[in-house]
Amino acid sequence: MAVRPVAAPASLGLAIGGFGLRFKSDSAGIISVLRGRYGRFASRTVRGMKFSVRAASGSESPFKPAVIFKDDRLELRRGDFSAALDLRSGTGELSAAPYEQCLDAFLRSLLSSLLPRAGGFMLHSAGIVKKGKAYLFLGKSGAGKSTLAKLAAGAGLEVISDEINLLRREGGRYRAYGSPFWGEMRCEGRPGNWPLGGIYLLGKAPRNSTAACGGGEALRSLLRCQLNFEKGPDTAGLLLGNAARLLAGARFGRLKFSKSDASFLDLI
Amino acid sequence: MKFKTRKDLAWRRIAGEIFIVDAAGSRMHELNGAAALVWEGLAAGRDEAAVAAALAAEYDITAGAAAADAAVFIEELLAAGLLAKAEK
Repeated sequence: MAVRPVAAPASLGLAIGGFGLRFKSDSAGIISVLRGRYGRFASRTVRGMKFSVRAASGSESPFKPAVIFKDDRLELRRGDFSAALDLRSGTGELSAAPYEQCLDAFLRSLLSSLLPRAGGFMLHSAGIVKKGKAYLFLGKSGAGKSTLAKLAAGAGLEVISDEINLLRREGGRYRAYGSPFWGEMRCEGRPGNWPLGGIYLLGKAPRNSTAACGGGEALRSLLRCQLNFEKGPDTAGLLLGNAARLLAGARFGRLKFSKSDASFLDLI
Repeated sequence: MKFKTRKDLAWRRIAGEIFIVDAAGSRMHELNGAAALVWEGLAAGRDEAAVAAALAAEYDITAGAAAADAAVFIEELLAAGLLAKAEK
C-alpha cells in the first residue's frame, strides 16, 4: 500500500482595522498572493472571521463591487470575486482570482461594510500621526492627499495612508487603524492604531490656513469621502447615524495648504 | 392633504439641517430652516394644513403666506420623487 503525502491547507491570519480575518485554502498560490500583499498585517494568533478560499478565474468586469447585507449575511461580488460571510458564525467563503488587484478589491469591499457596523468609517483621506494622535485629511482625487502625506513623511511624521484610512469607534472614542490601502506613495502600511486628534477638510491654496467648518459642511465631506458599496436604505441610515456621532465626538476643521513645504504641520 | 415620504430614504437632522440620503440614486438632499420643518411635519404624518400652521407659528408669518410656501415646497418634493400623496 502506498502512502501519498497530502498537502496541508495553506492559511493566513490578518489583523486589519481591528478585525481578525483568517483565510484557508487548498490553493497555496492564492494564500501566497495574500501574504505577499498583506504580509505586514499578518498575525499568527488572530481570531475572528474565517474564510474558506478557492482560487477562480474571472475578469474585473463589472469593476464596481456589489455588496448586499441581509439577515446577518454579507454578500460581495465583482467580476473576479464572489464572497459570502455569515456574521453570526463568523464564517465565510471566498472565490477569487489569485491576483493582488482582485484581493484588494475584495478586502476594501469587506472592510467598507464591516467598519460602519462597528461605528466606523473607511475614508478617502490622508492620515498622519503627530504627537501620538492621528489626523485625517478628507479629500477625493486631486484634493492633495498624497502631496500632503509626502510632505508630512519628509518632515519625519508617520503616514498612516495617503489614500484610504480606517476609523473605528471604541468605548465612545475614535481610533485610526493602520491601513494597507495606499495611493501614490505605494507603501504597505503597518499595523497599529492611534487616538483620533482631528479631521480636516482638505484644500490647496497659495498660503496655509485653518478655519472652523460647519456641521453641514463636515457631514457632506464625510459622506462624500466614505467608501460604501451598499445601496440599501438601512445602510444609508447607519452611515448617517455614524456620521452624526463622529461629528459630535471629533474635532473638525478646514485646512488649506501650500504644497511648497511642510509648514502647514505647525497649524495642526 | 396627507403625504408620505419614500420608504427607501434615510434621513436625519444633523447640525440643524435635515440630510436625506437616497442610497439607490446615490444622491443626498439637504433641507434647512422652513424646508426642514415642513419635511419633519410631513414625515411625522401631519397633513399639509397642520404643517403650514406650524410654519406660520415658527416664522411669525400669515396663515396665507405659510400655506403658499408649504404648497410650493411640497410640489418640489413631489417633483423630486422624495414624497408621494398618501392614499385616502
